[in-house]
Amino acid sequence: MCDHSNQNIYLPHLATVAEVIDETPDVRTLKLVFQDQQVRDSFSFRAGQFAEYSAFGAGESTFCIASSPTRKGYIECCFRAVGRVTEELRRLEPGDSIGVRGPYGNSFPIEEFYGKNLVFVAGGIALPPLRTLIWNCLDLRDKFGDITIVYGARTEADLVYKRELQEWEKRSDVRLVKTVDPGGNGPEWDGQVGFVPTVLEQAAPSAENTVALVCGPPVMIKFTLPVLEKLGFSDDQVYTTLENRMKCGLGKCGRCNVGNVYVCKDGPVFTARQVKAMPLEY
Amino acid sequence: MQKQITQQNLNALLDTLIKEGKRVVAPRINAGTPLYEPLKSSAEMITDQLPKRSGKEAFFPLCEDIMSYEKEGQQITLTDIDPARFPETVLVGVRPCDAAAVPVLDAVFSWDYKDEFFLERRKKTTVIGLACTTADDACFCTAVGLSPSDSKGSDLFLTPLEGGGYNCETFSEKGETLINKYKELFAEPDNATTIPLARPQTETFDLKKVKAWLDSHFEDPAWDSVATRCVGCGACAFVCPACHCFDIVDEGTEKSGKRRKNWDACGFWKFTHHASGHNPRDQQPKRYRNRIMHKFKYYDDKFGQTLCTGCGRCIRLCPVGIDIAAIVEEISKKQE
Repeated sequence: MCDHSNQNIYLPHLATVAEVIDETPDVRTLKLVFQDQQVRDSFSFRAGQFAEYSAFGAGESTFCIASSPTRKGYIECCFRAVGRVTEELRRLEPGDSIGVRGPYGNSFPIEEFYGKNLVFVAGGIALPPLRTLIWNCLDLRDKFGDITIVYGARTEADLVYKRELQEWEKRSDVRLVKTVDPGGNGPEWDGQVGFVPTVLEQAAPSAENTVALVCGPPVMIKFTLPVLEKLGFSDDQVYTTLENRMKCGLGKCGRCNVGNVYVCKDGPVFTARQVKAMPLEY
Repeated sequence: MQKQITQQNLNALLDTLIKEGKRVVAPRINAGTPLYEPLKSSAEMITDQLPKRSGKEAFFPLCEDIMSYEKEGQQITLTDIDPARFPETVLVGVRPCDAAAVPVLDAVFSWDYKDEFFLERRKKTTVIGLACTTADDACFCTAVGLSPSDSKGSDLFLTPLEGGGYNCETFSEKGETLINKYKELFAEPDNATTIPLARPQTETFDLKKVKAWLDSHFEDPAWDSVATRCVGCGACAFVCPACHCFDIVDEGTEKSGKRRKNWDACGFWKFTHHASGHNPRDQQPKRYRNRIMHKFKYYDDKFGQTLCTGCGRCIRLCPVGIDIAAIVEEISKKQE
């Protein structure tokens, strides 16, 4: 339970856009620094949590916090400009103000992953919800075993965090398997060509003492879960993070539920076992 | 505490409260439509018609400001809403189906994060319920475990007496405080007879059976048959005393404006529509299923309460004749 008595729970904190990074032609990262010193010092979150971001005059949009909780003093969000609010958020420039409410929702139980191997599987714009955890784990590298990242997008241009992909590729303590859909590769492409589930199956990470963290469009999840099962992963070894349309983020406004599960409060992080028990409403 | 009050003294009480600056909300006629609205005088109050919308507006307005913003260059200034501005309120003449919804709403607005907009108004409001002496064929409070004399949600409850006036019974400290403060207007109860109360005709639902069926029938052909004709107008949610889904929207320009919390409805296709185009409830029967599930299963799973008080407004208003009472009754019969 949170004690938020006598506070307007819908009132955002103000933050300043410190940096704008174009990940793809329509996907953008904003690096944000809270304007209030007290908020800057006290704001803490766990990998997997989300926030509501305001473009004043347009409204709020829901995204995960894409930076790692180990990186202090700022947060990052990453979004595709596809709607009214995200189009407005994309217009923001360094120095502009933005509203942030959060952090909300549950998080990855990272402490339970200590001593285990990790396999991250992401598709397209779904890397940011895992990237927070990837950096969290890399910043605590000696607490984990092997780290494998399988990441794919439709085309080379659609890959987000390209600089970080290069960085992970160079590291000897990370195995990065990057892929693009057939036809999405240019002449310089040095990664795999194929859909994420297929490439994951070929990469064949061992399920022993391993946790898989999966995030992607519904169709990718649908074909990835059976592959993980085939590789020997039980439903409790697989985590994903769900996304449903939200407004309040606080378990009140009533739209993000999947059956009787509220993504904003019970999630967004769920095990494959939990997801399989849910009705198809996500 | 049991008392009696004459109609004249009830009017005097309301007029005194209005004079003291309190907001007195009661059923009144606005352009031909009965609604719960602030009274200018007790003479405006009506007691013979169920308002078209429920009493929840006294705590949870159809549309309300939750902050405002102003932009100057790259700087934004946000202005909070001071809950002190919510007036002391007496909500009077509230039908049992509307009063009973208030504690149901308490659950969602007070669990975990506290919604001060609802809770502060709630704290400052005294609810005076009024027993129903008439019911129409859409009324089904008795089917969901309430009754025309149910005091759930009322601080003070009025039952009309033969020959005029009311029996008053208190159910909270707020009710007692009100009577004590204006005790000269109340009399000790005599043996006056109460007017026979309404008797809604719908059979009592076995809500446990209803929930048991819903627990195992998320996918069922019945959803298509009951809700393919739903046009998604959302009227059912807007007149419902217990529906509480809302939207958060900005109204204004880039320079200045307000952020508002507006009623919303799970029947609208856009309610769950993602910006990507994906919609988890992409067809009307799926949206109607959520309405029934939320009322008779999800809310119960979470808060141990049913999110329906049987007021019947959605039945009266539905443009395509969807009858929630008939649907729920049918469900209870399907469950062994």
